[in-house]
Amino acid sequence: MEKYLSAIILAYIVIVAVKNPLFFSPETLFDMIRSGSGVMLLALGVLLVLVSGGIDVSFTAVAIVSSYLSVLTILNLGIDNVILASIIAIAIGTGLGAINALLIHYLKLPTLIVTLGTMSVFHGLMAVLFGTKSYPLGQMPDSLANFGSANLFTVNTESGRYGLTVFLPIVVAAVVGIWFMLNRTLLGRSVYAIGSDEESASRLGISILKVKLFVYCTTGGLAGLMGIIYFSELKYVNPTSLVGTELMVIAAVVIGGAKLTGGEGTVLGTILGVVTVQLFDKTLVFLGLSSSWNDLFFGSVLLASLMVMYRRQRLADRRNLVFVAS
Amino acid sequence: MNTFRNLVRADRNFNILAVLTLAVVVTMVAVLGDRFLSGSNMQSMATQIAEFGLLALAMGLAMLTGGIDLSIVAAAVLSAIVCAKFLSGDILTITDSNSGLVMGVAILAALVTGVLCGLLNGLLIAKFSIPPILATLGTFILFTGVGMVITNGQSVAVALPAFANIGIATFASIPMIFLIMCVAFAGLAFFLKYTRNGRRIFLYGENSVALRFSGARNERLILVTYAVIGLLVGIAAIIMTSRVNSARVGFGDSYLLQAILVVVLAGFDPYGGRGRVGSLFLSLFMLQSLQSAFTIMRLDPYMKTFIWGAMLLTVMVANHILNQQSAKRPVAALPPQAVPKARENVGVQK
Repeated sequence: MEKYLSAIILAYIVIVAVKNPLFFSPETLFDMIRSGSGVMLLALGVLLVLVSGGIDVSFTAVAIVSSYLSVLTILNLGIDNVILASIIAIAIGTGLGAINALLIHYLKLPTLIVTLGTMSVFHGLMAVLFGTKSYPLGQMPDSLANFGSANLFTVNTESGRYGLTVFLPIVVAAVVGIWFMLNRTLLGRSVYAIGSDEESASRLGISILKVKLFVYCTTGGLAGLMGIIYFSELKYVNPTSLVGTELMVIAAVVIGGAKLTGGEGTVLGTILGVVTVQLFDKTLVFLGLSSSWNDLFFGSVLLASLMVMYRRQRLADRRNLVFVAS
Repeated sequence: MNTFRNLVRADRNFNILAVLTLAVVVTMVAVLGDRFLSGSNMQSMATQIAEFGLLALAMGLAMLTGGIDLSIVAAAVLSAIVCAKFLSGDILTITDSNSGLVMGVAILAALVTGVLCGLLNGLLIAKFSIPPILATLGTFILFTGVGMVITNGQSVAVALPAFANIGIATFASIPMIFLIMCVAFAGLAFFLKYTRNGRRIFLYGENSVALRFSGARNERLILVTYAVIGLLVGIAAIIMTSRVNSARVGFGDSYLLQAILVVVLAGFDPYGGRGRVGSLFLSLFMLQSLQSAFTIMRLDPYMKTFIWGAMLLTVMVANHILNQQSAKRPVAALPPQAVPKARENVGVQK
């Protein structure tokens, strides 16, 4: 799956580059890294959930709720510190994730419907209890705004100065961490195990509840961190944004080869999926197409890769006389 | 008395729902009085329920097969855009003499678009074995994309004033679109109960492998089911266009969550095989009563979101507890006449 997706990405890059050489500039690259950082964090969480055999649509609400509450907290405390804000957001996100995990584990219902419910409850309750006042640049904590424009280094070109965002090391750390956990630890292998077959995994002595708590808490924590990065990057704290884009993130992870039936999915595939989304998002202008074409391109690539992926599975199943409930 | 007890046991879900609906309606009447009971409120409720009811029916049908259709709203919006395009005079020039013809073409175009969208979903699910949730996630993005490319994100206005009459027209002071919805409900109830394909949809949701080995053509069944879903979506799109008098991408986004809520509330099993059209009608009515009460009380939209989500979770927790209790009840305790009845209906009933 990764090879196939890499081929699509390469072909697309070649087409764009031939059509418009301006595409190859540090500006485009840095811009994509900056705006893709948040999505990448969310996508890692979604990957974990998909590998464990579930689907979570509440993570955008978790991101907004935890980071908005964290911003309110540091505004009220008067401590203007982005690290403290991140810690609070991650803590709240983890807590909300735990609620998801407990509901999913004890209700034994489709995770989509459970998280659809928690999404509305989390976001609705926050808006009812704490309001939906937004904080523009002048009113939001300065440390967040500075964090959003901080750069590792800057490059001077004819058209101006461009910096590589400080989000990059955070995202790289998260990617490496999740990769290591999924592939090199017993806990990570348990996530794959319960995704493939919960019954067998439980007979192996894996605690389903513990693994699910881990999966949904990590997803919540990543979402909380993403919320802070999101507000910092936009330099605008708006508690009504982001919610509603969750299906796009799930689609990005699915395009990378993670299967909804669980037990399959790689970190590399997820990275490629996010890159695909970002490419269509940022570079269709280089082809002279308006952003109206985003969804059409993305939807077609998603459906094409789903068709390739599941057609192969279907043929294999038929050959082995496996009749799965499809 | 015994028959009554059996009746209550036979469909507990339906009975709980009926009591709940009654409770909601009584509370509404008690709290809001005439403002709720007034003819104008009843009429506006019947108008608002129509397009949403059709979408919920489509979602319910998908859930009977153990699937889900995330693309219904996107498909409805796309069909509405196609419909509005024909009515805007961009494709066919509208003159005084051909307005009836243009309207006919537009309605047909909306229905065809809806069915094609449904068939695409069915094709992906049946022929490629893509799980319904992923296939419809993909088509959801694709349909939105096609709509965006056609309209460039702008709203398409209807240039034919007569078209709005569909949304306004009444028959014996009952809105016509409400009657259309009722006909769709009755038609689907008949289809599910009395036709071979209808019965097979339940069995497919219960155990698709068993259905395959019983000699049914699973793939064709799924294609037919999703085509019917598409048809319902197309009808919803026509109502949508005539009510709003325009169409644009992003309209009715909140319908998706609410459609799933209504269907789960009506006792449809998300894993497939269980669900009644009658229950769906009741839960739709209950939700619409609440909705209009919220409007009369001028409730914050986020409060509504919260209440919908909380209701969805509560219903699921309640169902879970009830199911666990009925699983614990020993089989021998069942009344003797209930046992052969249950055997006769294995896999198909309820």
